[in-house]
Amino acid sequence: MRSLFFTYIPGSSPLHILDPRTKIVAVMIASIVIFRSSSLTGIMCIGTVLLILFLISGVSYRVALASVRPMMVFLAIIFLMQLFMTGENAIFKLSGFKATWEGLHTGTLLITRFVYLLLFASLLTATTAPSMLTVGIERLLRPLPLRKTGISSFDLATMMSLSIHFVPLLHEKFEHLMDAQVSRGLDLKHDPFRTVHSLSVPMIRTALRSSEEVAFAMESRCYQGISRTSLFDPAIQKKDFLALSSFIALMWLILLLA
Amino acid sequence: MPIDVKELSYSYNPGTALEKRALQNISVSINRGEFVLIGGDTGSGKSTLIRHFNGLLRPICGHVTVGGMQAHEKHVKAKVGIVFQFPQDQLFGRTVYEDVAFGPSNFGIRGEELEERVAEALELVGIREELYNVPPFSLSGGEMRLVAIAGVLSMRPDHLVMDEPLAGLDPGNKHSLLRILKELHSQGISVIIVSHRISDLLPLADKVIWMEDGRISFEGRPQDFIDSGHSLPPAITSLMKDLRQRGIDVRDDIFTIEDAFNEICRVKREKMVHRQ
Repeated sequence: MRSLFFTYIPGSSPLHILDPRTKIVAVMIASIVIFRSSSLTGIMCIGTVLLILFLISGVSYRVALASVRPMMVFLAIIFLMQLFMTGENAIFKLSGFKATWEGLHTGTLLITRFVYLLLFASLLTATTAPSMLTVGIERLLRPLPLRKTGISSFDLATMMSLSIHFVPLLHEKFEHLMDAQVSRGLDLKHDPFRTVHSLSVPMIRTALRSSEEVAFAMESRCYQGISRTSLFDPAIQKKDFLALSSFIALMWLILLLA
Repeated sequence: MPIDVKELSYSYNPGTALEKRALQNISVSINRGEFVLIGGDTGSGKSTLIRHFNGLLRPICGHVTVGGMQAHEKHVKAKVGIVFQFPQDQLFGRTVYEDVAFGPSNFGIRGEELEERVAEALELVGIREELYNVPPFSLSGGEMRLVAIAGVLSMRPDHLVMDEPLAGLDPGNKHSLLRILKELHSQGISVIIVSHRISDLLPLADKVIWMEDGRISFEGRPQDFIDSGHSLPPAITSLMKDLRQRGIDVRDDIFTIEDAFNEICRVKREKMVHRQ
């Protein structure tokens, strides 16, 4: 009953064996490029890159679908807002609101960007084991003078990886909860108020309790946020330089040309 | 209204690398008033099977009907009440009353009948009337579980399905839950218990279904189940078997300590009579 939502899919593709830092930096660069490129050609180029990366990773298209699906409602709202609120040249009118060509353009661009971000993130989590992700984040943050602000890079990395861990966990709990309430006759489609009420209250309780349990479990095993060593010691290799530099070059090209 | 499962097969994530066959060609029928245990190791498909009883999952092959209706019809959910594992996690109402009323009100029951049902369900699980208007979260863990069970009973199901109901209960709560189950069974409701440890419940059961790798590997009476050796017999049954092997002529189809006590007393009495 495993959910595919931002989970790690074990594999041995070229993307799986890259250093986590390489992948994290690549996703960061990709996010910048996604928001810098404003033309349709640029967006399409990034889409092609994304498609190729997914093919290389060997991750099922269902993983991609699963990461976008829960956001559909928000994306639809954003799109409609853009469609009706911007620009002058009307396509059609709907009881006082008018849909515009400019709105269609910016709306499509905006949601495509969001979808791309989600897909890049899901590609990262699908090809990187959570423990490797933590190590990667921690190593990237280490040079920053965080010590002075009272939190160490280890703390931050642990918090981040815990939140990532929690996503599939909470998703699974949510599905169980939904089963329980639907079994009690809850009609998800026709009764939005009851749905939100009967799902949100237990979900918040579960989330708070689970995080408390994790905190206790960590403390009882003497967790401390200073200078932790790591079980996995990633090392940047030639293939990481190669992959990252070609990715940066590609993104640069897209930004320049499109 | 029997539950009829015919040639049911189900897979998770069909058509992907993660495809996992959970059920294979299951046929079973559960009549009203039966006390059925569904056992099996973790991952044997027990939980997947019961999710078909009220249509939470739809069969990939075969079909599931309840009293002639397709299991995914909404009305079936009131007829087959499922209490999931750790049901106390599903509570959300501002008061105990509101939470228990959630189920029946989803089926359009209002007013006096609703009140009657809620009171009946809460009385059955032994929640006192002064607790009706307190927030469910102020209760103890055991009481919260009872409220959650009442939340299913208030729909007045014909079949009550419970997934691992005894998990994490202390002996006192365990005892009262068993009493509730007996009471429900005596009212003519069929009780279906899913658990990986069913030995505690064998004395209550009419029928045992044992699952392995998504198939039914045993279906029959509790006595035959113990003889089949699918799972360890209850400790008291092992003891009686042991006594029998050592040449003491006791019956070994015994599941409860009281029965064992009576049986040993009987054998002892017979011996005394014999000596005289």
